[in-house]
Amino acid sequence: MVKYIPSSSDDALKFLAEHDAYICAGGTDLMVLKRNIAGHLPKFDKDVIYVSNLREISKIYEDDKYVHIGATATLDEIYNNKLTPELLKKAIGEVASVNIRHFATLAGNIANASPAGDTIVIDYLLDAELKLQSIKGERTVKAKDFVLGIRKIDRQKDELITEILFPKTSYDFGMWYKVGSRKADSISKVSVAGIYSIQGGKVSKFALAYGSSAITVRRSEALEKEIIGLSQKELANRIEEFVEKYSQTISPIDDQRSTKDYRLLVAKNITRKFLKEVVEAKHE
Amino acid sequence: MKSKYPTSVPKVDFVPKFSGEALFADDFRFKDALNAKTVRATIARGKIKSVKLPELPEGYYWFDKTDVKENVVNIIFSDWPVFADGRVNYLGEGIGILVGEDTEVLEKLASEVVVEYEEETPIFDMSESYIHKAFTKGNYEEAKKKAKKIIRRSYETSFQEQAYLENQGIVAYFDENDKLTLTGSMQCPFYVKRAVMRSLGMGDDEVRVHQPAVGGAFGGKEHYPSLMGSQVACAAVKLHRPVKMVFERPEDITFSTKRHPSHSDYEALIGENNEILGIKAHVKLDGGAYKGCSGVVLSRALIASCNAYVFENLDIVGDVYMTNHVPCAAFRGFGSPQTIFAMEMFIHHIAKELGVDPLELRLKYLAKQGDVTTNSGHFHDPIVLQELINKAMEMSDYKRKIKEYSKPGCLKGIGMSLFLHGCGFTGSGESDIIKGKVKLVKDENDHVYCYASSVDMGQGCRTTLKRIVEKNLGLPAEQVTMDGPDTDTTPDTGPTAASRTIIIVGFLMEKAAKNLKKIWKSGVRQEHIEPYVGPEYIHWDEATMQGDAYPSYSWGVNVVEVEVNPVTYQVEVKHTWSTYDVGRVVDERIAVGQADGGLLQALGYGYLENLRCENGKFKQRSLTDYIVPTAMDAPSMDTAFIDNPFVYGADGAKGMGELTFVGGAPAIALAIENAIGKEIHAIPVVPEKLMEVINNGKN
Amino acid sequence: MAKIKFTLNDKPVELEVDPSARLIDVLRVNLNLTATKEGCGEGSCGACVVLMDNKGVNSCLMPIANVIGHKITTLEGFKHTKQFEVLKMCFADEGGSQCGFCTPGMIFAAHSLLCSNPHPSEEEVREALSGNLCRCTGYQSIVHAILRASKEGEGLW
Repeated sequence: MVKYIPSSSDDALKFLAEHDAYICAGGTDLMVLKRNIAGHLPKFDKDVIYVSNLREISKIYEDDKYVHIGATATLDEIYNNKLTPELLKKAIGEVASVNIRHFATLAGNIANASPAGDTIVIDYLLDAELKLQSIKGERTVKAKDFVLGIRKIDRQKDELITEILFPKTSYDFGMWYKVGSRKADSISKVSVAGIYSIQGGKVSKFALAYGSSAITVRRSEALEKEIIGLSQKELANRIEEFVEKYSQTISPIDDQRSTKDYRLLVAKNITRKFLKEVVEAKHE
Repeated sequence: MKSKYPTSVPKVDFVPKFSGEALFADDFRFKDALNAKTVRATIARGKIKSVKLPELPEGYYWFDKTDVKENVVNIIFSDWPVFADGRVNYLGEGIGILVGEDTEVLEKLASEVVVEYEEETPIFDMSESYIHKAFTKGNYEEAKKKAKKIIRRSYETSFQEQAYLENQGIVAYFDENDKLTLTGSMQCPFYVKRAVMRSLGMGDDEVRVHQPAVGGAFGGKEHYPSLMGSQVACAAVKLHRPVKMVFERPEDITFSTKRHPSHSDYEALIGENNEILGIKAHVKLDGGAYKGCSGVVLSRALIASCNAYVFENLDIVGDVYMTNHVPCAAFRGFGSPQTIFAMEMFIHHIAKELGVDPLELRLKYLAKQGDVTTNSGHFHDPIVLQELINKAMEMSDYKRKIKEYSKPGCLKGIGMSLFLHGCGFTGSGESDIIKGKVKLVKDENDHVYCYASSVDMGQGCRTTLKRIVEKNLGLPAEQVTMDGPDTDTTPDTGPTAASRTIIIVGFLMEKAAKNLKKIWKSGVRQEHIEPYVGPEYIHWDEATMQGDAYPSYSWGVNVVEVEVNPVTYQVEVKHTWSTYDVGRVVDERIAVGQADGGLLQALGYGYLENLRCENGKFKQRSLTDYIVPTAMDAPSMDTAFIDNPFVYGADGAKGMGELTFVGGAPAIALAIENAIGKEIHAIPVVPEKLMEVINNGKN
Repeated sequence: MAKIKFTLNDKPVELEVDPSARLIDVLRVNLNLTATKEGCGEGSCGACVVLMDNKGVNSCLMPIANVIGHKITTLEGFKHTKQFEVLKMCFADEGGSQCGFCTPGMIFAAHSLLCSNPHPSEEEVREALSGNLCRCTGYQSIVHAILRASKEGEGLW
């Protein structure tokens, strides 16, 4: 088993061109998955490359269209950066604990593709994109197309996530609602994120995404199209209809953390609450 | 810097713990040490047909029932084998241990052990009673004739995991005199010593046990270390090398002992004027595969079945059921949290059904000095419960809030529990069974050394017991030392359990110090041993469960304020106010620490900690999935003490280790009831459950 | 195996270890520094928290490879600092340590917070501690100890 510490991101790409390896950034998920007995090395069944010290891909910066967040930027660094979208900050602020956030990464959270990943919901909601590099070149893939299933992602063996890009956008109001098992240090039972804007009494922008509710994040662009353009009055009469429609886009389960019934009902409650806020929002 | 607790003294073990120098079980490094890995049953019930070991590499060994002299773990009721004896009775039961240097190799070898079973259908419901107790007071059947109404309810409580931060761990080695010695995370060095002596057929002078730093216990390390100690000791003796067994968290949660789940059926006879003429209760506990100390847990649960209330006619029955679950054993409260939850909820539900004020109803039946207890003994000592209630209500603004929060639509709630806890071993157990002793040794420099087998596991007993000696000898702190117990030098003062350390051991220390002072000769080595002699007026018949159950009682009140989130059904604990009568506080800082910690652990029991068992296996097996409160979940807590000195207590001090736990769950359950306007019958009131109660009224 | 160069308790260190080894194992087993405790092995309890560049991190999840070039502080080193003395004084007076097992991690959660926020509110203190479980104290004494330390240690953070 090769355990590689690259000297630069180019060096990392060279390695990945020849090795099918786990990419370890902070390690906060990988080290739990591959846990061995105390005092012994984690159980890796293939090569590993350690990228957290590649500071050249940790930069957070902006250009006209995007805010770029480097793959090895820690959640704490992202949280404290003024360029970071507000809604992403809110979600980061509730991930695990502050100790974990000191070395966990945003890239790692989506690359793990756990159904309960919190920041992935924001990635979907805000139409984030990932930049993947290899020695062959680079490509960009939308976050929603990147996650293929439980712990399955669209990353070729030779590719390395180098950035996550958030299109610059504006909206009146954003919501991040995490329902964990306690106030902190917990895995989501269900999470909901949404944004909206009102213009002239009509919904001019609307997006809603659910986490921990299916094998991956659920966001229905079809339902969003139905809602956008409605007047607040029209929406007010159709809240229950949309709550019901949205509840059919998710498929929560029973597990050691919670029940299907609870997750579904709470998701509906949050959806209803959010739609009510949209209806009651004061518009310019 | 001004002290927040000017009357308190520095904790003797604070500096080593704060600097990270204090050694816990897994911090010891022994030359030539080997590790032990338990090979566990993969079914919950069945006969063992064969055990096939893989080929063991050099330096790796297997030990099982054939390697012990008496295959029994010495516990209050010793039915638990050290190693499975031809059959297994719970999933995870230890069949044998593999011993060797590398824990990874041991893990691999363990996975290669093939056990053939003749499986039997496991029992997971409470149907087969293996311990039955019952007693009455007055004449319940007669009282029934006068009843105009009968009110019935059933209450349920769940498994609870102690979740001490330090996992179970024990080491057996040979000391400088080549004597078999054990150290590790434990509450009772003499329990471990006697267990090893019995299972290996060794003499009193052949086994030594001493205590290192212990990272929390709460009852979970009262008996379990006797099992682990017996296992590692047999290997250590055979190999004449140190053998260590330290759990990681998943193994600890999955296989170590838990709090007994309970189901209690209560019935109240209501008279013409809404009096409670009598109470009938059937308390059922899930004991798991072996009895162990469950008989005593049941006793305590039944003795507490009417909590701090006095009723004339009682019919109390209890059973512990044999199931093929992991055995349940000690956990702070030891049976009384289960029935105090039931009784506190029941008296409220009675009041609601009768349309009377719950507080008024409770005050009507509040125990007073001289009253006849549940077990037909007497409350010999003064009771200040009314004052505790008044103070707690004043601190929390209870009367105004309960009215305001009862308004429909208000999702805030306030709940108040009142409770007692018997201190010390049941009845005259202290005098007849434990017969604890303490020892004081003064050297030529007039430095005094205190010896008691009480283990400081965070509750600060090394500091408080030492303080009692300092005060009574009139010596400064630097002139008195109290180390952790070592069975070679320390007399058996009994286990660190049952809220007995201050009331019994502290009392012994006070007496010992006073007697040493009488004979004090400066510059000369002197030794004084003080044996326990309890109040003569305490009489208890274990068979009939009649008489004075405990030397005395401590009392308390918890008020908890919550707010329920209507979107997620989550409960937020806003604030708590508590008042306690522990006789007299020995050290305020330590007492407040016990108050805060006990209450938060009890709140967890009441609303957060969900431990489900399915087919004999716990579904929550890590601290990620077994949810205990974090600093953000914990509320601000206000605590006050009211003095009520006990004649047989050191400077009047009684016990408090468990008192601060027993009332938290009903207090939060009552607060949640107040918030949602529906009855709560089961804990933990997790959001999934609360959702059902709010939407269906079902529980 | 790889050469892992980092700073440990203010001293430069170079170890030849497997890059995938957990920091907690390198500390407790390779270097026999046992002040760092393991409570859960999966980053939930915080008992294993040490400082990496003055920020608290769970050493049970930190691969030693990631530590290269960084400053690691364990209690064996931190106990010689002025900040430690202030925290010690405040924790002692408030009763912020009972069994002591969560204490090393708590000390670093406190220090990590005060380094980035020398005058936190109670809410901020509770949030900073929320990844460090304590089963003994109920947290209140620890929270108060840290609030006091921020006052008593004025200028240190």
